[in-house]
Amino acid sequence: MSGHGFLLANYVPGTSPLHRAPLWLKFLLVLGCGMASFLIVDWAAAAAALAVMCTVFLLSGAGLLRLFRAVRPVLPVLAMIGLFQWWQLGGPTAARIVLNVLVCIVAASILTATTPVQRLLDGVASLARPFRRFGADPERFALTIAIMLRSIPFIAGAYSDVRDSARARGLERNPRALILPVFITTVAFARQTGDALAARGLGEPDTESEPEPEKPA
Amino acid sequence: MTKTDGSMAATPARQRSRWNATDLGLIAVFAALVAGSALIAAIPVGGMGVPITVQTLAVMLTGLALGPGRAFAAVGLYVLLGLAGLPIFSGGRSGLGVLAGPSAGYIIGFVGAAAAVGWLTVVVLRRTAGRPGKLRAVLLFAAAMVSSIIFVHGLGILGMMVNAKLDFSKAFLADLVFYPGDVIKNVLAVTVALALHKAFPDLLIRRVRTGAAATTHTADVKVDHRP
Repeated sequence: MSGHGFLLANYVPGTSPLHRAPLWLKFLLVLGCGMASFLIVDWAAAAAALAVMCTVFLLSGAGLLRLFRAVRPVLPVLAMIGLFQWWQLGGPTAARIVLNVLVCIVAASILTATTPVQRLLDGVASLARPFRRFGADPERFALTIAIMLRSIPFIAGAYSDVRDSARARGLERNPRALILPVFITTVAFARQTGDALAARGLGEPDTESEPEPEKPA
Repeated sequence: MTKTDGSMAATPARQRSRWNATDLGLIAVFAALVAGSALIAAIPVGGMGVPITVQTLAVMLTGLALGPGRAFAAVGLYVLLGLAGLPIFSGGRSGLGVLAGPSAGYIIGFVGAAAAVGWLTVVVLRRTAGRPGKLRAVLLFAAAMVSSIIFVHGLGILGMMVNAKLDFSKAFLADLVFYPGDVIKNVLAVTVALALHKAFPDLLIRRVRTGAAATTHTADVKVDHRP
């Protein structure tokens, strides 16, 4: 957790047509599957959709293991829901509900497996662009995202440091001793980050080029 | 399915014209804090050492510490980046597929809950300005409970009804499991938040004069109105 490696967990490098497809097209695919999951009422259709999605996923060259890893976190709860709804609503309906959720999850993993994290984040940052006329500033938005990403390893480190020192004092069962120092450190770190940004003239509202539409705080 | 996606993306940016670099830093680092809290192992609580996850605690504390606007932006940023594909949801999950799962409502609910508890925190801190103490802690706890019941549990139940096709009573029963942990976490969140405001008096409450030497208005406490 000391680096940014964990952020790359889902991406599988490759040159398949899926890798080369534009981000919005893949996003539309995920969106379409989400919509379809409300419209499909037949379990066979859901199974067919799942088969298609799995084929598309495998075409990207990510492999079966990746596919399994993408759905593994939801399998226990889906199994529970499936069994419960089988008992409540019958086999076909239960199968349809579970398969529809799986279709959405596989479709979403196609997006994350074939798009580098940096492109995903650029896509998110560009979401702010249409709102520029309301005073949105895509660059500050992107800056905030970047600061958040580099702070995650710091936070994870703070948790483990605090846990070690609580254990050294025999307080590993005291939730306050495990949590409060992390939050104090976090606020102090955020303050330092803000000061560092201000010292470099970054992150301050750009008052010269765009007049503030709302009253200042 | 992705109904909240676009609006959430815009909000951190839209209100930001009033936020300075420190606010930006707080928003980014608290978003990272929620992400980090979702990734670390559960911590043991009490004599029995019942493990609780820290994520909802971090969400509520973001609201209690930063107030409505910045908390909304921080938690919104976390949810947005998780949906975009960073493995920062609990259990390392990520991506838009989470919206199809039964826990979708809880994740969306975090954003509303953080904003709601932030708003109530400002109200409580302003009303109890002269007399901090037990009353303030109790009111903040009530604010945290109300926000998490309405947003986290409310939307959580709705999410289970939509995605797992459970009917209301079943979803309600499934959701009840989370209440004991929530009470513990909110108690903890309020004690941590009060300590935080003590350590950083200008985090949300702005003390105009703290030193008695400066003026005689030592009890002059102002709440930061920034959303």
